[in-house]
Amino acid sequence: MRERWAAPLLATALVGLTVAWSTGALGQFLANGPLPPVPVPSDNPQTDAKVRLGAQLYFDTRLSADNTISCATCHDPKTGWANHHPTDTGIRGQVGGRNSGTILDAAHMRVQFWDGRAASLEEQALGPIHNPIEMGETLENVVRKLNAIPGYKAQFNTVFGTDVNTDGIAKAIAAFERTVVSGPAPYDRWLAGEKTAMPPDAVRGLGLFNGKGHCSPCHSGPAFSDQGYHNIGVGTGKQNPDLGREAVTKDRRDRGRFKTPGLRNCALTGPYLHDGSEKTLADVIAYYDRGGIANQDLDPLMLPLNLTPREKADLVAFLEALTGIQPNITPPALPEAGAAQEGGSR
Amino acid sequence: MKTLRIALAVALAAATLLALRPGPAGAVPVFARKYGLNCTNCHSGFPRLNDWGQRFRANGYRLPGRENEEKTVLESPPPFALRTSAGYTHERFYGGAKGMDASGFRVHGLDLLSAGVIAPHVSYLMVYPPQLSDSSRGVPGQEGTIEMASVVFSDLGSPWLNVRAGRFEPAYAAFSVKRHLTITPYEVYDYGFPGGSRFSETREGLELTGSGHGFAYAAGLVNGSATNRPYDGQADVYARAARVFGAGEGQTTGQRIGVTGYLGRTRPLEGIDALQTFSRFGVDASLNLKQVNLAAQWLYAQDEKALWDPVLADDVCWSGFFVELSCQPLVECVAFARYDQVDGPGGIVQEDVTRLTGGGRYYFADNLALHLEYSRRTLDTAARTDPIEDLATARLDFGF
Repeated sequence: MRERWAAPLLATALVGLTVAWSTGALGQFLANGPLPPVPVPSDNPQTDAKVRLGAQLYFDTRLSADNTISCATCHDPKTGWANHHPTDTGIRGQVGGRNSGTILDAAHMRVQFWDGRAASLEEQALGPIHNPIEMGETLENVVRKLNAIPGYKAQFNTVFGTDVNTDGIAKAIAAFERTVVSGPAPYDRWLAGEKTAMPPDAVRGLGLFNGKGHCSPCHSGPAFSDQGYHNIGVGTGKQNPDLGREAVTKDRRDRGRFKTPGLRNCALTGPYLHDGSEKTLADVIAYYDRGGIANQDLDPLMLPLNLTPREKADLVAFLEALTGIQPNITPPALPEAGAAQEGGSR
Repeated sequence: MKTLRIALAVALAAATLLALRPGPAGAVPVFARKYGLNCTNCHSGFPRLNDWGQRFRANGYRLPGRENEEKTVLESPPPFALRTSAGYTHERFYGGAKGMDASGFRVHGLDLLSAGVIAPHVSYLMVYPPQLSDSSRGVPGQEGTIEMASVVFSDLGSPWLNVRAGRFEPAYAAFSVKRHLTITPYEVYDYGFPGGSRFSETREGLELTGSGHGFAYAAGLVNGSATNRPYDGQADVYARAARVFGAGEGQTTGQRIGVTGYLGRTRPLEGIDALQTFSRFGVDASLNLKQVNLAAQWLYAQDEKALWDPVLADDVCWSGFFVELSCQPLVECVAFARYDQVDGPGGIVQEDVTRLTGGGRYYFADNLALHLEYSRRTLDTAARTDPIEDLATARLDFGF
């Protein structure tokens, strides 16, 4: 009798243990949403005044050398806090080599820029200002120009207790960007139990996303990014391909690797991929369906997907279901030169 | 005891309901559970592997390119899974004077699986079908022997050097018998001299594998047939090479061709006591066009005559092949059709086999499939009685 029940007993124990554990494990994985509270560094706590100041700086073209480009030029709230151009145009009509990533929910990314060269939003905030192709200004000039604007000078003294300086600029812009976060998406509501929140094609798309589409091994976590770097072949066929992460680490193994972008609100932020080479989400899925572009550094998980037209459409439907409630932020009034002025609104 | 049985039944039912809860993230077996992925990440439709799954398996059950992030079995959910199937099967044997039917609802086996990463570059897989016997009701059971228990040492300085040791499914079977779509076997893998081991069996031994740039190889040493004696000290050797054209692994994308050679020594079942030699040479192809896969295997065998019948004048040659066409228009369903043929040794022994199989699988969830299959097997014997076996089955196949 003991032998007769040994197998069922063992099976039951294993199943019970496994299911009990897996319920938690899967729950953890599927807690891709909702997004947790935005992480705030201890050396740059959020305050309303700082956020208001950061908003003004974000929308102010005076941070650029010729007073034509602001952060919002390339990261426009009207276009998903990104830009609909494949790559963006900076001062004097100079064209950059990479697509502008969205600021929306960027606070949930551990590192910034496609190659991850900025370890924080604060570090990222200053990058475009002194990038010769983008805003083309020196940090010294920006500090001088802003100190000449009484409205900014007063706010910096209120918020940071000093005149305008680069550290304060970075912290204020970063603080503002931490408010640029999306609310629950249909996917989040579906996950919470509202089964009508996502249409059937999007639900099928979720199955594909975690399965045949092979998306979730990289697009995992609350922001739908593993925060890692991968070579998916984009641009490798070009004459001088972008080295990506290798340019930062100088590690040959990082050639052609770029940061996995988050997918929340991606329906708003086309074109896609680091060079903006794919115009629509359907184009991106078609790219992955082909298995990317072969190169010696191609991520080994890049394989043709063999998706049917319906499956491709289902994946697009799921990605569209990641569009959350958009932050209600409008460009603030900016301080005018020579006159102190309160500005900024949310 | 009655209380224990009730408790077990309730626990099993609860576990099953939990495991089969609806939704695309329904519970999935061990690897999927570890990574939080659906079965279809690695399987075109379980149990058959897709290219991703093939690459994962070849990499020692580690995500290629993410080896440094792998969690061991101690850091992962319990590495256990179950697979079983149950349903209605109708079998009819006829030929000769009288036919015989065998029909009914059956549980078609139960596998306990465990797998995972033990340490960097070291992983394991174990499949144990516990003993199930119900001879009193005429239902065939299964023996409680370990079907697979192997340790894989991966990427030993190069992706071209991986070692699998233990009891495993050797790479000489180009198409996995454990992960194929049909219930009925590949005839050519099951054919052979009396008492000899079959290509469809798992074997104990050591296997080297490697792959890259569209090429793959495997070479191994495995124990010989069951008729060998422990002191024989003989090991069968085999080698396989494959080439994939295009991206993929030839499972669901890319075009794969391969060649296999096998050389073994074993004792005849009866008569001569000396070890006799047998060899196999195979050619295989797996061709893909969109959602359609064409799998083909041809196998040529040469056996010393004593393995079949010592009175034969010459060594015995036989060959066989199968061609399988499968189509998966949607991730939820796959249809398949296969033709098997074995041209047995001519002359004194003649036992040709043909089999025609068709069916499909519909996946209610990633881990739950309705399997429908019909197969007719015809045996062309020397006696010319031509026995025919018909099998029709509808069963649920699930793993959790």
